[in-house]
Amino acid sequence: MNPSSADPASKLPSRAISIDRLIVMANQIAAFFAPYPDARRAEGVRNHLRTYWDPRMRQDLIDYVATGGEGLSPYVCDGVRLLTNGEDRKGYYGPPKS
Amino acid sequence: MESIPVANPIKPDKSVITTCAYCGVGCGFKAETHQGRIVRMMPWKEGKANHGHSCIKGRFAFDYYVSDDRITTPLIRKSIDDPWTPVTWEKAISHAATELRRVQAKYGNKSVGAISSSRCTNEEIFLTQKFARAVLGNNNIDNCARICHSPTQFGLSATVGWGAASQHFDSIMQADVIMVVGANPTEGHPVFGSLLKRRVRQGAKLIVIDPRKTETVESPHIKAEVHLNLRPGTNVAVLDSIANVIVREKLFNEAFVKERCEWDEFQRWAEFVSSDRYSPEVIGADAGIDPELIRKAARIYASGPNSAIYYGLGVTEHSQGSTGVMCLGNLSLACGMLGREGVGINPLRGQGNVQGGSCLGSWPHVFSGYRFVTDDDVRKTFEDDWGVTLDAEPGLRLPNMFDAAIAGHFRGMYIMGEDPVQSDPNQNHIIEAMRQMECVVIQDLFLNETSKYAHVFLPGSSSLEKDGSFTSAERRVNRVRKVVEPLAGYQDWEVLVMLMNAMGNPAKYAHAGEILDEVARLSPAYKGISFDLLDRIGSAQWPCDENAPEGTEVLHREKFPRANGRGTFMLTEYVPTAERTNDQFPLLLTTGRILTQYNVGTQTRRTANNRWHAEDVLEISEHDAKTRGISDGDRVRIASRFGSTELKAKYSTRVGSGIVYTTFHHAETRINVVTSDLSDWATNCPEYKVTAVEVVRVEKTKAAARSRKAKRSETVTA
Repeated sequence: MNPSSADPASKLPSRAISIDRLIVMANQIAAFFAPYPDARRAEGVRNHLRTYWDPRMRQDLIDYVATGGEGLSPYVCDGVRLLTNGEDRKGYYGPPKS
Repeated sequence: MESIPVANPIKPDKSVITTCAYCGVGCGFKAETHQGRIVRMMPWKEGKANHGHSCIKGRFAFDYYVSDDRITTPLIRKSIDDPWTPVTWEKAISHAATELRRVQAKYGNKSVGAISSSRCTNEEIFLTQKFARAVLGNNNIDNCARICHSPTQFGLSATVGWGAASQHFDSIMQADVIMVVGANPTEGHPVFGSLLKRRVRQGAKLIVIDPRKTETVESPHIKAEVHLNLRPGTNVAVLDSIANVIVREKLFNEAFVKERCEWDEFQRWAEFVSSDRYSPEVIGADAGIDPELIRKAARIYASGPNSAIYYGLGVTEHSQGSTGVMCLGNLSLACGMLGREGVGINPLRGQGNVQGGSCLGSWPHVFSGYRFVTDDDVRKTFEDDWGVTLDAEPGLRLPNMFDAAIAGHFRGMYIMGEDPVQSDPNQNHIIEAMRQMECVVIQDLFLNETSKYAHVFLPGSSSLEKDGSFTSAERRVNRVRKVVEPLAGYQDWEVLVMLMNAMGNPAKYAHAGEILDEVARLSPAYKGISFDLLDRIGSAQWPCDENAPEGTEVLHREKFPRANGRGTFMLTEYVPTAERTNDQFPLLLTTGRILTQYNVGTQTRRTANNRWHAEDVLEISEHDAKTRGISDGDRVRIASRFGSTELKAKYSTRVGSGIVYTTFHHAETRINVVTSDLSDWATNCPEYKVTAVEVVRVEKTKAAARSRKAKRSETVTA
């Protein structure tokens, strides 16, 4: 591996991909989990973002929600708020857990 | 270009048994050679998928491997505006290694990634993901299933536990009802298509759900009992409506659901689909089909007694592709159509090794066997075997890589056997992304659309020139054997090992079988698979382990591969695609393929098969054509919100009014300039099957001038 001490990525543009694209993708995920009850819906969104999204994309979304999250479905925001340090990061397939 | 057919019969002096790479059926062939050159491909009677049958691709389209266009010397260049410089292998490998490391040093560890192809062997696909994870040090690894069957992996894993066909192909001979959804096996998977037709002629009932009246719907001695010619983009609505009928009329198999599935999730699902909004009257009007036909399809499927589902990219390549696959999982579970011969849910895979690509961890989020990279225990088994620390976070998917390139985060990639510039959607967007790259290493047989944006070209080897294995759509691991020596001197896996070594990884394999041994060591479903086993018994379907030493034909016989062993149901709300028709773009374009050609055509266009399909044409109904002043054979311009291109129109009764259709076999058609950049909610699989377009006739003189100009600009010196 490349043993450079200062991470060159820190000098890159702030967002890994366009926020418009992330909003579309996140809202699509929320639309899928919409029929589930509140807690399971949020968990479904969280698990999906946790196990399928590159951490930079996830962080961009977390930051965007923190600034108000304009254009995002409220279901996305509920799921994003569950993305914390203590979360289950193992991932699973199937219906969202309650 | 067209090669001259080899004079036949020539008496072959050698014969090697190998596997066709052209589609997911995985036909066995005896490749016969004369003085070191292939003269015939004879379908192998012992082949467990084809039993001695073949189609015109596998049988005849092999001469591409000796095409004059083959590149056999490594090439490098500083900038994509420079001409290529031929160099030695050593120089090319060292240049690629240095450049990829330079990009990582400048833009960060995660600024590079790798793409594998379903044209490559299991061994090569596994090695490519090892290259990304263990050498590049990130999970930016994806494969071409991203743009075809990634929703299958997601949707089937969610419901039945494994993203793979539940049956072997021969199982269809026990089916009483065959439901084909968004697939046209007679053109896409011809040898299996023939088997399906044989079963229908024996009396099995056929249901086809497809916007087009394909040859599968009606051909000599074959007629579908029900054809739901739905409007493109309404799959989920129609499948939910079928479920609505099954629940309301209590046609489901309660005993099976109670014994084998999660009952609570079933009840939730049953309540959800039985809502009035999914009644055939409501959905029929939206999808443009007779509600009674939805009822009829539901009753036939549920009554079986053995009903089998076969589906293709017409299900997956939608913004709700994964949801569509879940709908099929839900239906087969609810009706108890899993766990024995004659039933099941089966994706028809387009390329020879899409299943292998899916199984072997060429994904940014899972290792082989669909196990998450975020799972510490799973990751540790790989770290222990490979002796490196691995990234614990999912990587970028193929479309994310292009998006990240445009945003400034992604600057280099290694591509084995793929041509994303031609095959991926919204071509202008991809080209913009490719232009941002500082190091693209491409390994292929020919220069292609993507190599226009590459900096290193490593000559690849065709499946006729290498050892390894393919996993077919029925989970069958078939042996690929070297028939002729690699034209450029190395098999693809050997080239990748050289690159890994140059970048500091000590990987060393005496032959491809040792890579398969590593696959077996690290992937539970492949535990018992080895060259020895395949050479001894011909082929084996995974899972293959101590419980099933010669493999498993039918999955889910006793339990489902989920934590509690039970199948489950997903709520599948219909969310219409954002891609809508309007006054400006009133028609829906859907794309597909044709019998004689294969995908982007790189191989088949370089054989005599090109005579049968020398160009892509736009199928249009006579009504839509005439209202636009278009005659049969006119050149037309097709435009969407994303771009436009030109091709020839052909009157067709296969598409209804409001729908146009074409194939994507020819680079000059550039149909993916037109396709949208919308994608599946779960996997980013592109929505190739629905693009709003308008079609206008092109004046003949203008068309000729444009065609001349295009030809001039395509002349490149290599």
